[in-house]
Amino acid sequence: MTAISTKNLVKKFNGVRALDDLDLEFKKGQITGLIGPNGSGKSTLVNILSGLFSPDSGAIVINGFKRKRINPLDNPVYSLTRTFQEVRLFNQMTVEDNLLVVLTERNVFSALFEKHTKYHLEKTKEILDKLGLKEKAHELAANLSYGQRKLLEIGRALAMNAEIYLFDEPFAGLFPEMRKIVIKILQELKGNGKTIILIEHSMDLIRELSDEVIVLDSGTLLASGQPDKVLEEKKVIEAYLGE
Amino acid sequence: MSLVPQLIMNSLIAGAIYSLMALGFNLIYGTTKFFNLAHGAMAVVGGYGVYYFSKMLGWNLTSAIILGIALAGVLGWLLDRFIFLPLRRRKATNTITLVASLGAFTAIQAIVAILFTSQFQTLDKNTGTSKIYEVLGGIITETQVVILVSGLIIMGALVLLLKYTMFGKAVKAIGDDESVAKIIGINTDKIIAKVFLIGSAIAGWAGIMVGFDTGLEPTIGMNLLLKGIIASIIGGIGNIYGAVLGAFLLGFAENFGIWKISSEWKDAIAFGILIIFLIFRPQGILKK
Amino acid sequence: MEYLIHLAILFAIYAILSLGLNLVVGYTGLLSVTHAAFYGVGAYTTAILLTRSGWNFFPALIIGMILSGIIALLIGLVLSKFKEDYYALASLGFNIIVYSILLNWQKLTRGPLGIPGISRPSIGSLSFSENWMFLLLALILLVIVYYLSRFLVRSSFGRVLKAIREDEGAIKIFGYNVNVYKLTIFVIGAMLAAVAGSLFATYITFIDPSTFTIDESIFVLAIIILGGLANLKGSIIGALILVLLPEALRFLGLPNDIAAQMRQVIYGVILILLMLFRPQGMMGEYKL
Repeated sequence: MTAISTKNLVKKFNGVRALDDLDLEFKKGQITGLIGPNGSGKSTLVNILSGLFSPDSGAIVINGFKRKRINPLDNPVYSLTRTFQEVRLFNQMTVEDNLLVVLTERNVFSALFEKHTKYHLEKTKEILDKLGLKEKAHELAANLSYGQRKLLEIGRALAMNAEIYLFDEPFAGLFPEMRKIVIKILQELKGNGKTIILIEHSMDLIRELSDEVIVLDSGTLLASGQPDKVLEEKKVIEAYLGE
Repeated sequence: MSLVPQLIMNSLIAGAIYSLMALGFNLIYGTTKFFNLAHGAMAVVGGYGVYYFSKMLGWNLTSAIILGIALAGVLGWLLDRFIFLPLRRRKATNTITLVASLGAFTAIQAIVAILFTSQFQTLDKNTGTSKIYEVLGGIITETQVVILVSGLIIMGALVLLLKYTMFGKAVKAIGDDESVAKIIGINTDKIIAKVFLIGSAIAGWAGIMVGFDTGLEPTIGMNLLLKGIIASIIGGIGNIYGAVLGAFLLGFAENFGIWKISSEWKDAIAFGILIIFLIFRPQGILKK
Repeated sequence: MEYLIHLAILFAIYAILSLGLNLVVGYTGLLSVTHAAFYGVGAYTTAILLTRSGWNFFPALIIGMILSGIIALLIGLVLSKFKEDYYALASLGFNIIVYSILLNWQKLTRGPLGIPGISRPSIGSLSFSENWMFLLLALILLVIVYYLSRFLVRSSFGRVLKAIREDEGAIKIFGYNVNVYKLTIFVIGAMLAAVAGSLFATYITFIDPSTFTIDESIFVLAIIILGGLANLKGSIIGALILVLLPEALRFLGLPNDIAAQMRQVIYGVILILLMLFRPQGMMGEYKL
């Protein structure tokens, strides 16, 4: 079953093709590693799938919805969420608020009169527990350490309770203890039937976590398949050595 | 009818004044990348400087004018030295610097009002006996000729300065990327300080010209500045030729725009144009 | 004693203005420099309805709020296309356009002559013409506005506003229609400004366009930055300080118009100092 697929996806920046006629398929309920040398288009793809940019041409199918471009406001409908490589938290808000803010009503009028149900507060506590950030609930996000901020990003995505998760380098810069937490979270998500697309540079983590691997190079699909096989392929190794 | 030639004449004069403001503003924006809303106050200081030296102290006009320009330039330099430079050092956001410049503008305008009262003053010694020329059906005063000519001279001088001197190249380098400019050895703080000096001096000259042409009030600064900003945005922000093009376009739009309606709507027309450009073509007519 | 009541009324009016602006600037991060325009719309609507159509203050107040809200909707739609500094600049432009309309649409507003003879509010036989009664009315309105604002910022809606301020692009990815939220709070802020305007018109019983210039918008901005952005109590304290300050100057024996200018010098300098040394103001929870 396919969670996300793209057809002939093209995105140009200043004349350079960041995504070049990309045809991809991400299967449901598994962790797909998205790898490739710097500039291969991984982040651009994720940005387009989450509605940050519009593609120049091509089609996208998410959870059965066929689209020419993604409107980020529809992400809850597509049941899609993501983290950012450069950690985009709400800095001058508390850790707790960073989670509560995505748990609340989207509609302006509802948001005005919403009473925080036990569900919201419990879910927040549950996520903070999982991340090991319970004591920091009332700290400003800006005052957390880098690793804690990355964890909070992931927590915010978890709060969305989505079907599809796009993680953009969630492990970068994390100490081993925190890595373990993130690994546990990813495995738990997969256990619950969620779909994960994981951009990651560490090949060890890719091998450990991915059910399938997709390799991009210069905006095109270079290889895809089982992690062990794909990572041995000559052209994949060459693409990385060449960078 | 000599109405159209007069409208053309008025447009050219307005355009010249706006281009003086736009040139100074653009010079500063080009290097520091923030909207210096205190720039208008430099024009007011220049004009009132001349008022003080020539009318209150009785010094001769030429010296008064030189001092007025110098006063404006030095004030701009001081603002950079004590407010904008420290903010740059702290990597303050553009918004913080903009708000600080708003504070500076407010304070300076009010100080001028305290020292010279809010009353309307004119720098012209003898209104009515200044020379008048008739050109192609439109009337232009001696002052206005000076405005037009000086506007063109200053624009020419700036273009030469920026294109053919080391200083000009440094200014362009800072405008492209300040950190890179520092790495290649340019003393960016010093160059920016000089930019403030020159830009503010030009604004001072604009204020002096306005003082001779229509008169001074402490509150004319913001209006002059905003016209300069509108001109810069229409013409293409960061582009010297764009600033002048935008200034003359604005002058024409204002003066022909009020042909059939009262002249008090000039400001509304100017800002309407600004909003339209910001929506449809924020980069302006000419590219950087 | 009468003098103290007068000060208290002014304080209440500015406190209402500040709360409304803080919702927009401090909580949502929109650098709006056009608040005086909505202050003016509220004031003029009430003035015109009271003097020309004999309306009662309270329904006129509501109409003023609605009209202000509609104009804010239009202006807000245009402003939503701009970011940061351009937003501030465009908002300045709108302030000037509205001021221009108040000044020049003489058939409606009597232009620079202003509108005199505005009656004090009354309900049935109860009249607020006594100053202490008016103060009571003003304080009641202030309390209502304060608790309304508090309700807004403590709600989920308020939390989303803060997220918009922190990272508009990020919160959009999570499915929040940031444009609708921004427009909503901008309209609410404008409606609250209209309340202050209606109070002002019926207190002074005379209004003219000169109150509703960008200087006034900058003043309210200075209040909320001083008191602290995103802190409601801070806005109240900021209003207290900046309203009392010039009065303290009057006690030093300065003549009236100089005292007014000194107020500007002081808050101009305060803005500069705040930007340099304490951008979060006194009690702020948000640094620019």
